[in-house]
Amino acid sequence: MRKLMFFIPFVLFIALSAFLFSGLFSDPRQHGSALLSKPLPAFSLPDLMEPQRMLSADHLKGKVYLLNVWGLWCPTCNAELGFLTELRQQGIEIVGLYYVQPQDSAFGETFDLAALQQDVAKKLAEQGNPYQLNILDEKRSLIFDLGVTGAPETFLIDAQGQIRAHHVGDINPQNWPALAAQYQAVVQEAQATGAGGQQSEGATNAP
Amino acid sequence: MNPRRKQRLMAVSAILLLLSGAVGAMLYALNENVDLFYTPSQLLEGLGEDKVKPVPGQRLRIGGMVVPGSVKRDDSSLKVSFALADTGPTVTVHYDGILPDLFREGQGIVAQGTLIDATNIQATEVLAKHDEEYMPPEVAEAVKGIKHVAPKYTYPAGTDASAKSGAATTEAKTTDKPATATEGGTQ
Amino acid sequence: MIPEIGQLSLIFAFALSCLLALVPMYGSYSGNVRALLLAKPLAIGLFLFSATAMACLMYAFYHSDFTVINVASNSSSVLPWYFQLTASFGSHEGSMLLWVTILALWTALVALFSNSLPLLMQGRILGVMGFICVGFIAFSLFMSNPFERSLPFFPVEGRDLNPLLQDFGMIVHPPLLYVGYVGFAVSFAFAIAALIGGKFDSTWARWARPWTLAAWLFLTLGIMLGSWWAYNELGWGGWWFWDPVENASFMPWLVGTALLHSLAVTEKRGTFKSWTVLLAIAAFSLSLMGAFLVRSGVLVSVHSFASDPSRGLYLLAFLLLVVGGSLFLYALRMNAVRSQARYQLFSREVLLWGNNVFLLTATLVVFLGTLYPLFHKELGLGSISIGEPFFNQLFYYLVIPFSLLLGLGPWVRWKQQQLPPLLKPLTLVALLALTMAIGYLAATQSLAANLALLGCLLGAWVGMSAIGEVYQRAQQLGGFSTGIGRLQASHWGMTLAHIGFAVLVIGVAMTKTLSVEKDVRMKIGDTVELNGYHFTLTDVYALKGPNYGGQAAELEVYSDGKKVTHLHAEKRFYPLQKTVMTEAAVHARLSRDLYVALGEELSGPSWAMRVYVKPFVRWIWLGGVLMALGALLALLDKRYRRASAHAEVKTRENTAAYTGAEHA
Repeated sequence: MRKLMFFIPFVLFIALSAFLFSGLFSDPRQHGSALLSKPLPAFSLPDLMEPQRMLSADHLKGKVYLLNVWGLWCPTCNAELGFLTELRQQGIEIVGLYYVQPQDSAFGETFDLAALQQDVAKKLAEQGNPYQLNILDEKRSLIFDLGVTGAPETFLIDAQGQIRAHHVGDINPQNWPALAAQYQAVVQEAQATGAGGQQSEGATNAP
Repeated sequence: MNPRRKQRLMAVSAILLLLSGAVGAMLYALNENVDLFYTPSQLLEGLGEDKVKPVPGQRLRIGGMVVPGSVKRDDSSLKVSFALADTGPTVTVHYDGILPDLFREGQGIVAQGTLIDATNIQATEVLAKHDEEYMPPEVAEAVKGIKHVAPKYTYPAGTDASAKSGAATTEAKTTDKPATATEGGTQ
Repeated sequence: MIPEIGQLSLIFAFALSCLLALVPMYGSYSGNVRALLLAKPLAIGLFLFSATAMACLMYAFYHSDFTVINVASNSSSVLPWYFQLTASFGSHEGSMLLWVTILALWTALVALFSNSLPLLMQGRILGVMGFICVGFIAFSLFMSNPFERSLPFFPVEGRDLNPLLQDFGMIVHPPLLYVGYVGFAVSFAFAIAALIGGKFDSTWARWARPWTLAAWLFLTLGIMLGSWWAYNELGWGGWWFWDPVENASFMPWLVGTALLHSLAVTEKRGTFKSWTVLLAIAAFSLSLMGAFLVRSGVLVSVHSFASDPSRGLYLLAFLLLVVGGSLFLYALRMNAVRSQARYQLFSREVLLWGNNVFLLTATLVVFLGTLYPLFHKELGLGSISIGEPFFNQLFYYLVIPFSLLLGLGPWVRWKQQQLPPLLKPLTLVALLALTMAIGYLAATQSLAANLALLGCLLGAWVGMSAIGEVYQRAQQLGGFSTGIGRLQASHWGMTLAHIGFAVLVIGVAMTKTLSVEKDVRMKIGDTVELNGYHFTLTDVYALKGPNYGGQAAELEVYSDGKKVTHLHAEKRFYPLQKTVMTEAAVHARLSRDLYVALGEELSGPSWAMRVYVKPFVRWIWLGGVLMALGALLALLDKRYRRASAHAEVKTRENTAAYTGAEHA
């Protein structure tokens, strides 16, 4: 009895360590997936490289793609460019959503599109360009509607324009397989409905 | 049982009684002072699997983005209200006091306060958060040595390093208070 | 080149720490005297190499060598030179190296000042210190290398030091805090060495006491400075936030305080042995855990994505090894130890035991409040935060009985105390405290049954009782005038520390109750009135500093038509770090602070201003400084220098085999 008493601190400490250990691996990024299975919010935003061309949710309908929120200001985003480019070469469609950081007049900041285009072009030339096109969200409206809280974040959008997955943080060879499985499932689903899917879409649009 | 033993037994049971009483009181006080964290949509839809909604008068913390254009200030006092959203529904936060230095429309904030009704919160404290980047350690490692050319378009002449570029944003400063805690309510 | 020298020094330090962890321990098992004798030079070499590494890092910062990633991320060429130097421990990597250097410094000091310790004990203590060094140097080398280069590409300008850290308080706060944290490693090493040896006479406690005092002294100063810094730099007049980082330093302090008192019992009466050893382990464990909590990111809110599991994992593994190992050893060795001393219910032993109970309950409160959000999240109950009222409420209930006991403690003798002889002086002290507290409040502030009154009563009770006890003790030592000179330094130290606590309690209670705080909107020319002080905003203008811009506000303060002071508050914008800092204007007097902070600019133009009058807020830090001074006085006590000489003779572990080495 007396002997066991001296083990109490040890046992308490081990229990605490177990908690701390699980705390270390609990993912603080678990997201309320409030947007899953909802359509991509409506938007009308310019193409980053051709600002006179306005893009909307309808432009992107009919194909499965990843919507990747990124910015030059974000090193993590820049680091994942290489891997995303590999994915593009494997046939994964990726659309960029360029996250412009708030310009703070208190710090004398202004927004300069030409300079941004130049920098983006240079960066993509250096690191690889995974993007079919880039949506420029200068006022962060779509980013806001998507509930993006940082960069990078990636959304999986199906052929009907619905959000099927929301990935927070970078995509890398370790975590890609999980997302890839979802991507393949959505692609197969689109192929299964195939032409029928497009017909039904046409049917609903017709009246 | 000799008197010494008896005395010791008494002492031990007294200690145990006191200890359990103290721990009980502590846990009670702890539960009284727990502030649950909500996002605006959780506030409206309820939290967790049971969809538990907070009741008016409950103390809570809410975190979300300040909806652009929603900040309304009183002209003669420091009263201010703004809409807060994460994905879709918005709630209104009312505050009387000095907003944090990095409070901006479209930025994330965390407010501490009490619920007035389903969509209104009276805040006693508003904290700004201004870290917008996720940085897993492997990436932090990987980008070291690559990302050093700062974009020039966001900064005034004379300074050409970007605050958000560079790799080592990973660790919070070990000795300081959280950078967000620049504002606080009454003690 | 210089950073490479630093890197190399760190590698040498690592090698030496490995040797230090192994060689003396081997010596203590095999009885190899030469191995034991190696401990001292190894420890000193370890310190020299760590200090060289730190100096190299500072050199890199001073010369703005942006090829070093750490420098580029935490400094800039426009930073004033003194901040460039302190930026070297502003980052995670740099602070870790500072931690290592301080740990090595303590190790070297133990090696230098433990000549009178038995060789066997000395070897074991330094071995344990060496083992801890291995853990931290390895962490610095392999997990957070401060010297890492970013060649071939490197930036032309650094990202600047976090403006929050660009303050005098921040120059001294982290080193002091670390000296305190790491200092408990020495008490820990003494305890483990004693556990390994299996001998627990009072000499162990006598050796450990001065080291514990020194660590506690620095930790106290560090915490006080942190609080002072927060008050000046965070811009809303708060001096304690109960945030995890602060709590991480407060827990070792509480346990360290308990340890100081428990060591006294073990030294003087040879009892509380297992308890004292446990406290010595706990104080250092909590320091380690503080490092883990702060650096691993487990406790950072759900909004922080910037945590690093691999570092956290390493620290946790190290924690498990050091703390788990020592607690296991404790469980194995301690059940054989029994205390022989007898004491009555009303005795100093029991009162000090009460002191320990309250201090540990306080630790438990802080611990629960800090870790409960983690438990809550792990159990899947959602993210929460623990409100400040939890801590305030429970500390309120703890401080009252604690202060009452504290006033009583020094009067009571060891072993057994009769009540009647104490009744007269204690009644006198109580009456005096009552009159002083009520008299002061009635004369200067409003007298009401509130926290301020309670705080003043408790503070006056503790303070008067400490003074009264010194008076009585002096008289017992041959009349007041001669006796006062005969009091030991450690007695003065205790008295001063207790008075410091009294001052702190008064400061906290008065500030909490009587502060007047107003957030107001002011145009130029506007006046607000607080507690009889009229604050007039006379001017607001643009500001231009070396690495920041911003706004400055000028205010005039009048009271009863007379000018009190001129206040200058600033709001600084740091473009490199994209951070805003509030530099509050403070006019400090012993009885009150006038505190003004400039907020945002509003339409009008008008400005949001924070205007506070905070009575007695200085007393909080004054109390802390007095406590630290008390520890310093106790440390100067002659008997610590003599004690070890006695101990040498007493220790029976010095078997014949080692005596030769002792005299060598």
